Amino acid sequence: MENNGYRNLFIFGSLACFAILIALTVNTFGKLDQRAEPITEEVNAGKMVWHKYDCIGCHTILGNGSYFAPDMTKIASRIPKSYLKKFLMDPKKTNAHATMPKLGITAEEADQLIVFLDWISKVDTNGWPPKPIMTVTAGNVADAYTKYQCADCHSISGVGGTSGPDLSHEASIHPDADWQLRHLTDPASVVADSAMTPFPDMSQEERTQIVNFLLTLK
Amino acid sequence: MKYKSHRIAMNFFTFAVLLFLVQVLVGLIAAGQFIKPDFFIISFNIIRTLHINALVVWLLCGLMGATYYVVVEETEGELWNLPLAHFQFWATAIATILVVIGYIVMGLNPQANKWVFGTLILNEGRTYIEAPRWADCLIALSAILFLFNNVMTIIKSKKITGIQGTLIGGMVFLTLMYLPGMVYIKSMVKDQFWWWWVVHLWVEGAWEVIAGALLAFMLLKVTNAPRHVLERWMYIEVFLVLFTGILGIGHHYYWIGTPPYWLWIGAIFSSLEPVPLLVMVWDAFRTTRENRIINNRIGLFLSVAHAIFNFVGAGLWGVIHTLPQVNKWTHGTQITNAHGHLAFYGAYVLLIVAIIYIAVPNIKGLKDFNTDRAYKAFWWMTVSMILMVLTLTGAGMVQVYMERLMGVDYVVVKEHYNYWFWVFRAFFGVGFLIGVGLLVLDYFTMGNLPVRKGASNIRTTASA
Ligand code: HEC
Ligand code: HEM
Ligand code: HEM
Ligand SMILES: [Fe+2]
Repeated sequence: MENNGYRNLFIFGSLACFAILIALTVNTFGKLDQRAEPITEEVNAGKMVWHKYDCIGCHTILGNGSYFAPDMTKIASRIPKSYLKKFLMDPKKTNAHATMPKLGITAEEADQLIVFLDWISKVDTNGWPPKPIMTVTAGNVADAYTKYQCADCHSISGVGGTSGPDLSHEASIHPDADWQLRHLTDPASVVADSAMTPFPDMSQEERTQIVNFLLTLK
Repeated sequence: MKYKSHRIAMNFFTFAVLLFLVQVLVGLIAAGQFIKPDFFIISFNIIRTLHINALVVWLLCGLMGATYYVVVEETEGELWNLPLAHFQFWATAIATILVVIGYIVMGLNPQANKWVFGTLILNEGRTYIEAPRWADCLIALSAILFLFNNVMTIIKSKKITGIQGTLIGGMVFLTLMYLPGMVYIKSMVKDQFWWWWVVHLWVEGAWEVIAGALLAFMLLKVTNAPRHVLERWMYIEVFLVLFTGILGIGHHYYWIGTPPYWLWIGAIFSSLEPVPLLVMVWDAFRTTRENRIINNRIGLFLSVAHAIFNFVGAGLWGVIHTLPQVNKWTHGTQITNAHGHLAFYGAYVLLIVAIIYIAVPNIKGLKDFNTDRAYKAFWWMTVSMILMVLTLTGAGMVQVYMERLMGVDYVVVKEHYNYWFWVFRAFFGVGFLIGVGLLVLDYFTMGNLPVRKGASNIRTTASA
């Protein structure tokens, strides 16, 4: 029994560490609710949909999960909800390049998911995910293009999002200035069931600026 | 077979190696889906679920087999209740198969996963602990029967050794830490908080305690080292594991909505986590050096390899991204994935393989046997795993730099810049599969090949 001292160190030392963890857990749980918005029935319904389709089997959320698809923590603060809803219900129809399968998410479930994703995007995560520190730009883009955050959905020369089509050669695809103007004013009026958000607040000047810019992208 | 009870350990080992093969096969499908997402009928999330659940279940089966074996060896008698142990084995195997069928059904038809009485019937949609509630209950029941049987065996025999006590203690801790994953919580933040209790306190707590106890047991069996020295170091190691590992859980509470004090707690304690793993490596080498009588060379070889790769995979590949300043950029990237693979391989895959090569020859009564294929399996697996992990680490570095530091879109990095990393990962995956194939083959044919001259598994001289 010459090892009794070591054995006791193990048993009681470990129990002490565990007791500290429990104390910290109690303390943390007292603070969590102030670091997030209240959870409504709608938020919870969205969370249940999240589990039902095993979204975490491809995506991370709060950075935890799988690394096959993008993180969902801040998605609702970046991508407009009308687009999200269309995408969730039929990803490939909304974005031809999407790899996400059509899971059979109903309109009601999509709404609930969006409320849940909106809730999670407002959790205080100590600043995660961090903003990139070496921001890249796609050369000279029109000011209005930046102002209305077109790059959240579109990319030019590899810079920007992938929700909408690549605009690197937009001038060759839709060289018609009139088409561009009508599309920018009301996308659904030229492209049936377009998932692009309209920009009702945009001034006429800004529209022309963007269209002229798009027509330089040969 | 000296004891009838050894049959139980063999059953668990057999089930474990077969599931290992399944795990790696579905892992290869998952790797293929990174290259071509639509090539398989079941989508990635379910393939990945199968991959990681097969992993966890086969390792648990390996640990249960190991425990039954150790308890019988240490008490030098049969198990308290043999039929109960058989029942526990079959219940575990059948529950596992039912859960797998459920996953496949959901993979073919996602709508089949319905909410019934507040729980999902096929898949809970929570990484690693996807198993539905009804299966959780069966698993918990199986664990309780398992613990009860072993504890009764020890009590009956009145031989409580340090190794045995620590092993059972680790198993009790493991069982208890399954429970926080069994409740539904409306807050995703709290959900993840408890989820990490299960995942972290398993792999960096309970399982490492079990690994410490098994390492001591294995060194005891393959060398003539004195028990009291081995047990003393074992106590030091497992104490340090829990001292650093329990509060080390803080490295998962940096960014999930928890208060900022976790940044300090996680950083300090998790940075120390490699220390006990390094002590284990030193312990393995010291024991080998000081005790030259070795009666199972492959067993010793694998035990030492386990200690080394436990340190490299969990300790080194873990500590590189554990400080908040680094983790802020690497959190949830391929760096995590690289670490996950090397850690699980080094810490637990090699542990189970080592204990198999110590237990099975003894159970089969092999005095000496041909170990060529065992070494071949080891090298195929290990070299492939190292190359796979280096590939994933490279992919992770590109991802962190381009996506996190430069702001390039996630999808662009994954589909474009990281493409060749996925191809190489799958390629090395095939190498790993060859290794597992050899291992499974050798498991079933151990002792059948003639012992070659100069390749004996026994060395009793004090030379070399
Ligand atoms: C919510 C995401 C989203 C935002 C924000 C967005 N778009 Fe789109 N965009 C889309 C989608 C989806 C399409 C494809 C459907 C369509 O053609 O209307 C599209 C199509 C386009 C097209 C036609 C591309 C082609 O080759 O078919 C142009 C041009 C375009 N967007 C310009 C813009 C500009 C300029 C802005 C900023 C003022 C912008 N978009 C903002 C989603 C978005
Ligand atoms: C054998 C022991 C270990 C195993 C099996 C293991 C396994 C894993 C796995 C599988 C994950 C990913 C979980 C997920 O997100 O799905 C993970 C995450 C992590 N591990 Fe370990 N680990 C071990 C030890 C360690 C050690 C010793 C350290 C540090 C000293 C460490 C540091 C981390 C960190 C920081 C993360 C989170 C990465 C992120 O931010 O996503 N691990 N580990
Ligand atoms: C043929 C060999 C293997 C291949 C091709 C393979 C492939 C994969 C793939 C594609 C993923 C999903 C990664 C992601 O979501 O980004 C994954 C996850 C994982 N694999 Fe494997 N795998 C193999 C072997 C193994 C082995 C032997 C182990 C255990 C020792 C293992 C443990 C894991 C773990 C723990 C994860 C989750 C990582 C995390 O979330 O952090 N894999 N594997
Ligand atoms: Fe951890």
